[in-house]
Amino acid sequence: MPDNWGFVLAAYGLAAAVLIGYWRRLARKERDLERK
Amino acid sequence: MERRSKETLNALVFFSLLLLFVFQFALGPDRERLAAALPGILWLGFVLAGLLGLGRTFVLERENDCWDALVLVPGDKSAIYVGKLAGNLLLMLTVEVLLLALFTVFFNVDLVPALPGLALVVALGTLGLAAVGTLFAAMTAQVRARELLFPVLLLPVQVPVLLATVKATEAVLLGEPLSAVAHWLKLLVAADVVYVVTGVLTFDVLLES
Amino acid sequence: MTRALGGLAAAGLLAGLVMAFGVAPREATQGNVQRIMYLHVPSVWVAYLAFAVVFVASVVYLARRAEAADRLAHASAELGVLFTGLTIATGSIWGKPTWGTWWTWDARLTSVAILFVMYVGYLLLRGMIDERERAARSAAVLGVVAALNIPLVHFSVYWWRTLHQPPSLMKPGGSSMPPVIVAALLVNFAAFSLLYLYFLGRRVRLLGLEAEAAR
Repeated sequence: MPDNWGFVLAAYGLAAAVLIGYWRRLARKERDLERK
Repeated sequence: MERRSKETLNALVFFSLLLLFVFQFALGPDRERLAAALPGILWLGFVLAGLLGLGRTFVLERENDCWDALVLVPGDKSAIYVGKLAGNLLLMLTVEVLLLALFTVFFNVDLVPALPGLALVVALGTLGLAAVGTLFAAMTAQVRARELLFPVLLLPVQVPVLLATVKATEAVLLGEPLSAVAHWLKLLVAADVVYVVTGVLTFDVLLES
Repeated sequence: MTRALGGLAAAGLLAGLVMAFGVAPREATQGNVQRIMYLHVPSVWVAYLAFAVVFVASVVYLARRAEAADRLAHASAELGVLFTGLTIATGSIWGKPTWGTWWTWDARLTSVAILFVMYVGYLLLRGMIDERERAARSAAVLGVVAALNIPLVHFSVYWWRTLHQPPSLMKPGGSSMPPVIVAALLVNFAAFSLLYLYFLGRRVRLLGLEAEAAR
């Protein structure tokens, strides 16, 4: 079996992007609401 | 009210007939392919007719502005659910019987030997479809994009019923005994019980003001 | 409190990465692609946990009509959809080199996909009702129906794919997995659970702020 590091990287990269993106969205919305 | 439900029934039967034509065009004249795809097509037709028919469960109340009257009915609202469910069940079964009759004519299949088993499967599947459909119709009756939301909610929930009925219909049409699909029938009964009980218990929540 | 949980989750995820890439060995049959499992399996666990929380919160809302329960259900459903999506995406990325295809109608894949569309529908319903209280009531009913449907979906899809063979859950793995791999999985389970709790806290708080702003 070849190692396919590209696929491993893609999976972890995607997960990191999604989770960090969600986290930042929460933080941004919270800031917006608190400012009001 | 009598007249309106008759209108719905007529339109639904006509719609089912059109579905038959579309299926025929999509599949082509190959008889064997048709026979293999028949259970799936049959239930696709039932479900599509159900999406249209069940989605109109509360159309009268909405159009005549008597939703509030429905909400203000004193006492146990689950009786309304059972009544609407019975009406929907009757509507769906009528459409399905007619659709089955049309199938035998247009696709030249002989359903008679399979009829007792088929009747059981159709009855169990339709109860599940109508039970969730009636509940979801009440849920989406006051929503802006209800025509869109109703099928979007109903279809994924109906996957178990759909799989069970298609597989059981397939076996029944092949002449297998019902005992061969006992696990599917049990699943259908379980689904029906779960859906009807949940519907009875939660329906009044949807009608609160 | 949430901040501490966030720190804990971050530390857990870091430990999970170390376990997945540093400690766990290269799997013999699948190669390094198997390391995706340390991401994929905890995601699906969190997704099921989140939907279970939606169910409990919905029942509590129906019984008590507490707005807090409704917010919990809403937040948890959103996270469930997020992690289900992540499960499907990482599973696809793992499947391509392992099975040679991005997607197959395998029993487990199919049931997770159905869960995904069911709860996307739940979020759509919430989004389409403006009146807060009615949205909460409708969503609670749907949350109950969807959760009760999960076992039905599971069995039907399993029988559909495997014909008549009795379902033998978790066929590969189980006790045959080396302890190091089990340990790496467990660390990631814990890390993802902490992350879920952290996100849940933040999301519930945000929903509260939104409700206040709308008032």
